[in-house]
Order: sequence, then C-alpha cells, then structure tokens
Amino acid sequence: MSNDILFLAEFAGGNPARSALELATGAAELASQSGGSAVALAYGSGAASGAAGLGAHGAARAIVLGDEDRPAITYAGSLVAAVREAQALAVLAPATPNGRDLAAALVGTLHVPAFGPVRAARVVDGVLETEQATLQGSVITTARPSDGAPAPSVVLVLANTFTPAEGGAGSADVSQAPAAAGSALSRASVAESHPAEAKVVNLEEATVIVAGGRGVGGEEGFGPLRDLAAALGGAVGASRAAADAGWIPYQLQIGQTGKVVKPALYIGAGISGAIQHRVGMQTAEHVVAINRDPDAPIGEFADLFVVGDLFQIVPALTEEIRRRKGHEGA
Amino acid sequence: MKIVVCIKQVPATGADKRYTDDLRLDRAGVEAIINPLDEYAIEQALRLADDGSADAVTYLSMGPEQASEALRRALAMGGDDAVLVTDPALAGADEWATAKVLAAALDKLAPDVALMGMASDDARGSLVPGAVAAMRDVPLLSYGSELAVAGGEARVRRLSATGFDWIAAPLPVVATVTDQVGEPRYASLKGIMAAKRKPLETWSLGDLGLDAGELSGAALTTVTDARPPEAKAPTERIENLPPAEAAAKIADWLAARKLI
Repeated sequence: MSNDILFLAEFAGGNPARSALELATGAAELASQSGGSAVALAYGSGAASGAAGLGAHGAARAIVLGDEDRPAITYAGSLVAAVREAQALAVLAPATPNGRDLAAALVGTLHVPAFGPVRAARVVDGVLETEQATLQGSVITTARPSDGAPAPSVVLVLANTFTPAEGGAGSADVSQAPAAAGSALSRASVAESHPAEAKVVNLEEATVIVAGGRGVGGEEGFGPLRDLAAALGGAVGASRAAADAGWIPYQLQIGQTGKVVKPALYIGAGISGAIQHRVGMQTAEHVVAINRDPDAPIGEFADLFVVGDLFQIVPALTEEIRRRKGHEGA
Repeated sequence: MKIVVCIKQVPATGADKRYTDDLRLDRAGVEAIINPLDEYAIEQALRLADDGSADAVTYLSMGPEQASEALRRALAMGGDDAVLVTDPALAGADEWATAKVLAAALDKLAPDVALMGMASDDARGSLVPGAVAAMRDVPLLSYGSELAVAGGEARVRRLSATGFDWIAAPLPVVATVTDQVGEPRYASLKGIMAAKRKPLETWSLGDLGLDAGELSGAALTTVTDARPPEAKAPTERIENLPPAEAAAKIADWLAARKLI
C-alpha cells in the first residue's frame, strides 16, 4: 500500500467543480501528513485538458477516468479499476449526489471502510482520522478504520471543509485510467435534458448565503433578500417550504434533502429553523437569523437573533451595508 | 413489472438519541418509525401500482424483529407483501453488510426496480443504494423527483445544475427518489385492517445463503470518541428596535467579525 490520498475531481462544461479544487487542497494536506502524494481521479467534460491544472491547488498527479458529459455513476467501472491499481490510503469524495453515488460503487465493489460526510479529516501516525456530526448535529464523533481493515478508506467530505489553495504554479502529471471490466453501472444515460434559461448559482460555492423561508410569503418576497445578498456579495438560498411553494428553484434548497452548505456567513430570514433545515446549514461559521417569532427554534442556535419584521429589517440592513461600503470606497 | 421497496426502521425524528458507553447508537426505548424519506419511495411505488405500471409491490427490510412493525405500516399504505431479513449476527451492521444482505434478498426476489429513499435519518452516508447496485451489477438511477417505467426501461427525473434531466437505464435497476415525489399517503383504517392479512415472511441469513461470520463482528470503522459539539457563545439578541437601529447593530456585529 502507498500513502497516497486520492480524490474525485468532477469536471463539467470544461471546468473543474469547486469541490475538485477543495479536495485537491484537502488531499494535499492529508498527503503531507501521510508522506504520500495527492492524486486526482478526474472525470467529466474538460477533465482531459483541465486535470493538469489541479496541480495549482495541490494535486501531484491526475488520472483521467474519462472526458465525456454523462452521468457521473457511469464512471464507476474505471474509478474502481484506478482505485484498485493505486493502492492508496484514502479516497476523498464530495458529499454531493454524484460523489455519494461513486463512493457507494467503491464501497459495494471493494468492501473498504466508509466515513462521512465528514467536517474534518487528518492522518495521525499513518492512520486516517475523521470527524463527523451525527444525530442531527447533537454529537460529534471521531472515527478511524478498524485495525486490519483494508485500504483505501472512502471519505465523503462536506463542501467548504477545505479552502482551495490558490496561486500554486505546479502542474499535475496526467495519466489515463487503466482499462476497466464492463459494469452495468455504465448503462445509465441522459435521455432528456431540460436546462433552465436563468442561471442558477451553485450554493455550495457561496461564502455568504441569505436564505428565505415560509415567512418570506411569496416569490416577490425574495426580492429584498436578493438585494441584501448582492450587497454582501453572496447568494440566495431557501428552506424546503419556500422551494415546495414554487417561490424559488429546488437547486437553491438548503437542508437534509437539499444542499448542505458551509458558508462564512448565513443569514436566515423568515426561517423557523426546523431540524431538516438545520442539518443543511449548521456548520456555517456565523449564523444570523431574522424572525418575527421570538420563540422560533432558529433563535436557539443562531449566533445573532434579530426579532422583528424581515420586510423592514432586511431592506434597512441592505441600505446600511451599501452606505458603509460606499463610504469605504469614497 | 415488479417493484421491491427497501425500507428501514429508525428512531423517531426528534427522539432523544444518544451513544452508549461503548460508543454505539443506543436504540433501546426510543420510538421507532419508518425512515421518513423511505415513505416517499413507498408513495412512488404505489403511484406506479395505481396507474398500472407496476403489477406487484413488495417491501423489504433488514433489522431486528420489531422492524416487522414498519413493514406492517408500509403494507397499510398499500402494496402486496413484505420480507424481513433478521438475524442476531446483523446487529451493528455497516453499509457494506447492509448492502450485502439487501443485494442477496433482492437476488431472490428478482424485482425489475429496487426502490429506496434518498437517505436515512440515522446515517448520513446514503451509500447503501449504490453499493447494492454495484454488488448486483445493475444500473443505478438516483435522486429522482419522479420515477417512470415503460418499455423495459426506467427513468428518473433528476435536478441538473440549472434545470432537470431524465436519466434512463434498462431494467432491472436500483433507483432512489427524493421528497419531491409528492406527499406520502396516509394509511386508511381499511388499509390497516387489510395489512394484517398480507403475507410477511421472515428470512434469516441462512435462507439467503449468507455466512453470518463474514457479516458480523467485522465492522471496518471504529468510533474512538463521541462528544457534544464545541460550546458556542450564547446567542446575542436584538429586539424591540426600530428597523434602522436594528440594521446598524447587525452591521456593527458583522463588521466586528470582518464579514463586511
């Protein structure tokens, strides 16, 4: 076995996903502790030409699984072959639907330890150690592979667990994945594609999120939230109630069945803070809540709880922030 | 077209859960329910039965004997029959062991679609469906907001970066659905009565030709520590202030943390 740390690097539309950059840096961090190298397993449209660029974020090598725009799970066969050959200490996968599907194919095929989704990982004395929030965030567990367990460990990693290192001049050495045995998992295909006309931001990439819930009252109620998000350089998100009501696309839903986000600042307006929403945002560094109900559950775990009418407070806050930023610029 | 819905019994959402002194999840004395996200898989299967796409709906669960209650509850919502795989060797089974058992049971049941919820309330990995698909070597169609089956092919409607795609694969498949399939139906009184007469079989590992020794006692991961989250500073509150003053206070708070 080597001490290398592999990571899934998803590409789409010619570019690496944000998760690929985060995991490149994370894998490099772990590899420096284990005495190995960070190795990308790159797939998706743009992987062949873009894999070398992951060197700038910490990858020493990159193995290209394929360069086509097709469902991620169809790369499972070549992923398994590459992981078998690499004999690494761990494989990091993003805790996204695609990352989970591929991690599951690895676990089902190779019978190796699985962790996550984790909020921290490290290598201590040659052994992987992970930290995970469980039981809806009420308990933090530390876990490691059992003695004698086979390698590699498969680790699902939450977005924003690692911050991509920028400005590295390095270039990853690129190679092709070994030939893979046929797998039925490769038989899924996109039968129809219905992209939306409007651009939808990837919430997992946002460092500031202004989220609205039932209290926003309707589609137009998100207007003031968009203004605040724009003033802060952030993105708009929502609770399931707001997405179910059709006020906002499901891509912007935060929670157990939506996105799990970890921004530096999360502002929740008109969101009560049900447990299903909480598990999607509880790892935000700073949580501000604005709610008319002084007893809303979100008040129990927010860092700053503002009791009041969001339709008055949010526009006033937007104006205040614009004023201060304008002042700085003057 | 035959569907097998895999369901899991879990501690009730919001129930008081904790770890035992030997760092296992303590399930004793906690109210048990059908994993809420599995109810959407049940609803999706029953809709396909309602519109004639599916001829038979079977439920499959792995768990202690009490998990038969969850299967009875599912049968009360609709469907034909159920199978519980239970064996003392399966206590504390990890994702791999769970997937191994479900895959073996599915080999025996031979459905066109093995349908599951997108995640379980008491484990966050969501690895079992993909592991089962890999073990059975059948395609995986995951995270569908809708499942359709016709002409020897299954399709799921899945969110894409901006809109949605229909992802297709030839039968048989493993599929998972999200909470967007529609609200799960309630069991009627008639349904509850009917469920008592529906067949519910119990299988052991031996019935599946699996070796208990291979599946038990060999957890590949070890929890070394369980503790409460880091204590956070008490919540600061801003109340009873005019909007402009509240806004100024929020901005001060953000500025003090270098967030603006």
